[in-house]
Amino acid sequence: MVGPKGNLDRVVGALSQAGRVLTGRQIAGRGVTVYPDDVFLVSYPRSGNTWTRFLLGNLISQSTPVTFSNIESRIPEIYFNPDRELRALSRPRMLKSHECFQPQYPHVIYIVRDPRDVAISFYHHNVKARNIPDNYPMVSFVPRFIEGEFDQKFGSWRDNVLSWTSVRGGSPNFMMLRYEEMKRDTAGALLQVVDFLERAAFRTINSSPAALERAIELSSPERMRALEKEEAANWVLTKSTRSDKPFVRTAKAGGWKSQLATESVEMIEAAWGDLMQSLGYELSSRKATSAEAVSHQGMRS
Amino acid sequence: MAWNHLRHVTRAALGINPAGRRLTVFPDDVFIVSYPRSGNTWARFLIGNLLHPQTPITFANVESIVPEIYFLPNKKLLRMNRPRVFKSHEYFDPRYRRVIYFVRDPRDVAVSMYHYSMKRRNIPDGLPIDDFIPRFIAGEFFVDFATWDEHVQSWRATRQGKTGFLWIKYEEMLAQPEVELARIASGLGINATPEDVARAVQMSSAGRMQNLEKQQSADWKLTSTTRQDIPFVREAKAGGWKNKLSATAVRTIEQAWGRTMKELGYELVTETASQHELVRS
Repeated sequence: MVGPKGNLDRVVGALSQAGRVLTGRQIAGRGVTVYPDDVFLVSYPRSGNTWTRFLLGNLISQSTPVTFSNIESRIPEIYFNPDRELRALSRPRMLKSHECFQPQYPHVIYIVRDPRDVAISFYHHNVKARNIPDNYPMVSFVPRFIEGEFDQKFGSWRDNVLSWTSVRGGSPNFMMLRYEEMKRDTAGALLQVVDFLERAAFRTINSSPAALERAIELSSPERMRALEKEEAANWVLTKSTRSDKPFVRTAKAGGWKSQLATESVEMIEAAWGDLMQSLGYELSSRKATSAEAVSHQGMRS
Repeated sequence: MAWNHLRHVTRAALGINPAGRRLTVFPDDVFIVSYPRSGNTWARFLIGNLLHPQTPITFANVESIVPEIYFLPNKKLLRMNRPRVFKSHEYFDPRYRRVIYFVRDPRDVAVSMYHYSMKRRNIPDGLPIDDFIPRFIAGEFFVDFATWDEHVQSWRATRQGKTGFLWIKYEEMLAQPEVELARIASGLGINATPEDVARAVQMSSAGRMQNLEKQQSADWKLTSTTRQDIPFVREAKAGGWKNKLSATAVRTIEQAWGRTMKELGYELVTETASQHELVRS
């Protein structure tokens, strides 16, 4: 039943939507205007996208260090900024996105991370975002994560990764970055990106060892944590979330080994084992044999 | 341009823009998905006639029974009875949980698209089909729907073999419509007798659809603004490419998409057709 309150909410909602449209303040999102020289930084959520934005932002333009206050005007994400503002950026632009395969994206840097670590990070993120209560059991969260329940428009981790690799894998306009590789050899990963950007006719980047080191330094977890403390209340991505939980967490690889129950690891590996292996993520459980364990809602609902 | 923008903004403000990719998706929604010109309209007739034996599907009522997501605004589609059945040409959309995916030999899609592009006045009357093919391969005519290969792979890689996803080849649908429609019925959880299925097939025959089109195409949204001298429902056959495409055109298609075609069981005729090696994890 829609009561008078519900009707009022609907009217207010419709009017504010109309207002946003008429004044051009609608969030770009999937409707973002794409230019042929755009580069998209794409990943499933919680896969190191913000860190990569800091690294690349600090490397591409070396005058002012990246902070949470200026990141949205340097490598903005498409979900918090109106298309009008994104169109006003100087080109070529670099934009952050969590979309599954989008044919219009001309150049894509896709970041992939071990889904067992993504699960843990996503869990804490959902507590922060108030999607799940404080002491919600991780073992109950994992199956919901596998189903892609929390950010449905981005699909599940598998949907997101496969939709890109199956269509764009091997294309010269697509490069894959593994979060774990970036952690292990950040400078090496940055050089690969610089190489890719050069081929994409992006602006010239100073990638001297000193410049790389500076970018890495300015994007360290410690610095990002310190910046988050000062700026989280103003950053679009965090301002409406719980301020007692950090956005920048441990920033490590392999945390799942001590933080996920065997049961949860087995569940993830049973669902996505094939894809994980093809990406070089070693499986720990013997039960992981087929990707068929994921049960999407059946045709006979 | 300015006029189009104003129109778009006004419609968006009023909430009457077509739903498209912004459609609100419910878990029980069923989507008939395909690249354009791959038998989607036929599928809408078949499934509509199966679900609503009392109301024979025509071009006049198909948009209210099995609507496409590109004409009606979201708020109107929200008022439909559930479960809703839609036509969509979207590349992979993770929100779609129940999908009947139609795939067709891209060499036949090319021929069909050529005529359809002429009907829609996207290409002039005398344009040689050989000039059309590279533009078709680049996905020029339906930029929003990606290329044929991207479309097929984005769904296949993510959903094939999953519950809720039914993969239908247009060629098999043509060869054995009753068998394939029975598969669809069982996928949808409909108890359909062989007679129900046979009747739906009959009510959706190419002959009947061609007749209906003659009477109704000036009013149907999809065809009302297109050239009336070129039909929407064309031959409804498989393999027409063999005498309509030049060897060059066939080779161009097979070189671009040969790998996917082979995976789908579409035999290549150009021996050297080898696509650049795609990493398909």
